[in-house]
Amino acid sequence: MNNPAVICHKVDKTFQQGELAVHALSGVDLEIASGGFVCLSGPSGSGKTTLLNMIGGLDRPSGGEITVADLRIDRMRMSELAELRLHHIGFVFQAYNLIPVLNARENVEFVMQLQGVAAAKRHALAMDILEEVGLKGMEERRPGELSGGQQQRVAVARAIVSKPALILADEPTANLDSATAEKLMQQMRDLNTHIGTTFVISTHDKLVMSYAKRLIKLHDGKIVDDIAQQ
Amino acid sequence: MTNTTTLLAWRNIWRHPRRTLLTIAAMVFADVLLIFMLGLQLGQYRMMIDNSLAIFTGQMQVQADGYNDEPYMYRTIPAADALAEDIRARTQLEAVATRGYGFALVSSETRTLGAQISGVDPQFEPRVSTLPGLIKQGRYLDGKADNEIVIGSTLARNLRIEPGDELTILGSGRDGSMAATVTPVVGIYESGNRDMDRMMLSMPLDTFRDVFSMGDTAHSIVIGGERERADRIATGAQAALADKDSLVLLDWETLMPGLKQAIQADFTSAWFMYAVLIILVAFGMLNTMLMSVLERTHEFGILLALGVGHGKLGRMIVTESAVLATTGMLIGILIGAVVVGYYLVNGFTYPGMEAMGERFNIPSVLRPEVSLRSLLPGPLAVFLATMLASLYPILHMRKLRPTEALQAV
Amino acid sequence: MKTPTFMLITIAWRNLWRNHRRSLIMLTAIAIGLWGMIWMTALMRGMVDQMIDSAINTLSGHVQIHAEGFLDDPSIERTLPPVRDNPALQSLLDSARVTHWSERIRVPAVIRSERDVLGVTLVGIDPQQESGLSFIADSVTEGEYLAGVDDRHVLVGRKLLERLETKSGRRIVLMSQDPDNNIAERGFRIGGVFDTDLQVTETSYVFAGIETVRAMLKMGDGVSEISLLGPDYRNLDALAADVRAAAGKADTKTWLELDPYMATMLGVMDGVILIWFSIIFVALSFGLVNTLLMAVFERTREIGLLQALGMPPANILIMVLVESLIMLLIGLLAGNLLSWLTILPIQDGIDISGVAAGLEWAGMSSTLLPAVKSSDVLLANAIVLVLGIAASLFPAWRASRKVPVEAITRIWQ
Ligand SMILES: Nc1ncnc2c1ncn2[C@@H]1O[C@H](COP(=O)(O)OP(=O)(O)OP(=O)(O)O)[C@@H](O)[C@H]1O
Ligand SMILES: [Mg+2]
Repeated sequence: MNNPAVICHKVDKTFQQGELAVHALSGVDLEIASGGFVCLSGPSGSGKTTLLNMIGGLDRPSGGEITVADLRIDRMRMSELAELRLHHIGFVFQAYNLIPVLNARENVEFVMQLQGVAAAKRHALAMDILEEVGLKGMEERRPGELSGGQQQRVAVARAIVSKPALILADEPTANLDSATAEKLMQQMRDLNTHIGTTFVISTHDKLVMSYAKRLIKLHDGKIVDDIAQQ
Repeated sequence: MTNTTTLLAWRNIWRHPRRTLLTIAAMVFADVLLIFMLGLQLGQYRMMIDNSLAIFTGQMQVQADGYNDEPYMYRTIPAADALAEDIRARTQLEAVATRGYGFALVSSETRTLGAQISGVDPQFEPRVSTLPGLIKQGRYLDGKADNEIVIGSTLARNLRIEPGDELTILGSGRDGSMAATVTPVVGIYESGNRDMDRMMLSMPLDTFRDVFSMGDTAHSIVIGGERERADRIATGAQAALADKDSLVLLDWETLMPGLKQAIQADFTSAWFMYAVLIILVAFGMLNTMLMSVLERTHEFGILLALGVGHGKLGRMIVTESAVLATTGMLIGILIGAVVVGYYLVNGFTYPGMEAMGERFNIPSVLRPEVSLRSLLPGPLAVFLATMLASLYPILHMRKLRPTEALQAV
Repeated sequence: MKTPTFMLITIAWRNLWRNHRRSLIMLTAIAIGLWGMIWMTALMRGMVDQMIDSAINTLSGHVQIHAEGFLDDPSIERTLPPVRDNPALQSLLDSARVTHWSERIRVPAVIRSERDVLGVTLVGIDPQQESGLSFIADSVTEGEYLAGVDDRHVLVGRKLLERLETKSGRRIVLMSQDPDNNIAERGFRIGGVFDTDLQVTETSYVFAGIETVRAMLKMGDGVSEISLLGPDYRNLDALAADVRAAAGKADTKTWLELDPYMATMLGVMDGVILIWFSIIFVALSFGLVNTLLMAVFERTREIGLLQALGMPPANILIMVLVESLIMLLIGLLAGNLLSWLTILPIQDGIDISGVAAGLEWAGMSSTLLPAVKSSDVLLANAIVLVLGIAASLFPAWRASRKVPVEAITRIWQ
């Protein structure tokens, strides 16, 4: 394939906690190929979320270089990062994934709307994808009227609907029962296989790890293990 | 209210420093504004009253009953000089002067006009009236000569006379008889009061009594002195009137109802403005307290579940409001005092003030009053309004059930 | 990238009602603030209008012509030739630019009844010409208005009548000075009594037919004053200039020049109104900024999410501003409605006679007509709207700039 989807070179992230400096990431070197399906695992506080933050351009590293879609994102301005996220990256968060004042369909349509997709087209796309994640009939409900798992599926639908090149997911299955989790992972793998979307997923869930093509283990902000699977 | 409650309240209100600061700032803004405006108003009223009374009216007057409403010549005070002396003795106040008033046709060589004549006691008049000090040409009555007169500037101009010229005075006396005399003008005064300058002239009381057949009577005994002492002076004067049924003691509010009501009218319209301001600040407080209660719904749920009663929660919110409102009030009063203090020293003026000043007998530089009367009402009103506003969040909280509270995020 | 405006408005609108209590409180505050602005200016304008009205009505008119020196020394010697001797002035006064005009004689006089003697101003008028020009024609409440220039009756104010202890139909004596400095004295029957808002007007003036006064004073056909009304009490300069040119050697003044106090009051008024607006606005803006800051604060996470999904910071700024704009617009709508509803029932005036003497002192009458000027209302609305948006810039800027860094890191938890 072509260039790697993500390159991290000596990425450091230090949080200043008063007097104390917390090294959330130290010297992370990582290359994720386009079309990869990567799992980040490791104990709580090992730096998984921080690494995803860095890759998604949500926060800046304290040191090192990060390249996403051939762009050096550690130097980019906020508005450029917003542009990049809009067109290249999809997010699934652990919780509080949805805009509370928009209903499920509107949440899914939101990103497409920002991208300037015509109303009729995005409506149809949103309805299809919601059906695909098993939310047919719940399109007009607001997040408050959906269960945690249902909300999570809306978030996944939103992340995949505009077919971004890279999807970042932080413990997407944390609130789901195993059957639902399995279905969700299946959908992600399908997308990965058919369209070549790159996935980076952080998780504690063995089930999720079993779907990964590559499993990266973090400990104290360092990569301690990097296993190719299947 | 225990210290812990206050401490807790203090911590709680600083959860959102910016919100708290904005809420306090709104209160301080209103407090300072109210203190400033009220101080200015009171200062202005005091000057209006003092200056208006000082020119001619005095703090109070003794008159025959009914004279103030319908000033007929025959409504007089008998043996007026003796009574004035009695009042001086009882009140220990020199500023007590006897006057007679009459209307007459006044003619110069070329002009004839109607004018108000007052007969004054040259010895005591300067103690109750600033008019003797406002002579701009010639001199005031010195008490040496009987037959002399001082006259308002506009009247002098209209009569085309100067000091040294003679005036013929023609009127009717107390008994309806003809009153006539020829008198030299010795001085011209300019009081700044249009009516007084246009209409009035003064002559020695003795001459006035001769001309207008007044005998030993007079129309009023003017009592001056400081307004702060007015109550004690009034008691003394009243004692002197004890056995005189036909005489009354009138305070300045009765003597100058226009002044009193002008002040009232101004005060009323000012309070309308103040009320709007206070209501707006109260709404700000209402919003802040409601926010602070709503965002703690979950927390209150836990407290309720733990068995803390609604009453206790209510007291906690009241304490928070009280701490907030008190802080605002104290800072407001402090800054307000500094602001009015500054203007007390340096004076305050605004464009158009001069014209207003002329109309209402006040100087064109105002000095605000700095007293409890000017410092406290505004901030207290803001305090009460904001405390009242914080009742709504409490009522809202009272309806809270633990289960629903716990469901809130 | 196109701004998805409709989406922004939708989100802003729904956000506004998430905490409906807070928004309603803020809306009410805005409405009350605007109401206070409109009311206070309406009352202040009403007061000043009234003062102007009563000044113009009480004989001054819009423009007055006097003989030179008359204003300083109002004596009978200082007269103008009658208008009919001056064709230029006559044609100007009869033109459409002047709605009413009249000649008068004005002399200081002494009035005497059986009981008392008082000083007054005797005004000789042309009753036909005078009606519509000053108050007198419409103020006679007892007896009859003067029938013509040589009517032999006088009109006396109610308060003066009481002071003189006399009655309509009784005789009084008026005394003044003729041009030769002799005392002119003549008995009149009181033909009518007039009532005015201001007591001082009732005690100051006695009206008689102009020819009757001329006869009493043994004077020729001169006049002391010519008073006229134009279409509007403002913008009199052009009319005054033309009258001045036509009147020739005379003293021509507008009512504003005659009453410098009123002129300053008019000037001060606009300043006072602007200060008042600013004060109200500042009081409002604390609440507005606070409300928006809170709204932004409690949505930190959400704003982070919007940013994570690729919403440009500028759009987030606009979203908060739109929320503020909606709030301001609804608040203003309610405020205007409230003002209209509360001013409507008192269109005919508020009775403030409780403080009548004080108002009289300031030259006002005791019913106050609120004067709603559309320019004041517009200014009040504009100030709240424009400055309101300006005040919202800070919370909006916080939302778009500062919040994301902390917000985004919070989302993941
Ligand atoms: N904003 C922050 N300020 C200070 N320290 C932080 C901050 N965010 C993360 N950290 C610290 O950085 C380290 C890595 O945190 P991170 O959230 O990346 O862990 P994680 O691997 O995602 O853990 P978990 O599995 O519990 O989600 C932790 O020690 C955490 O305390
Ligand atoms: Mg994490």
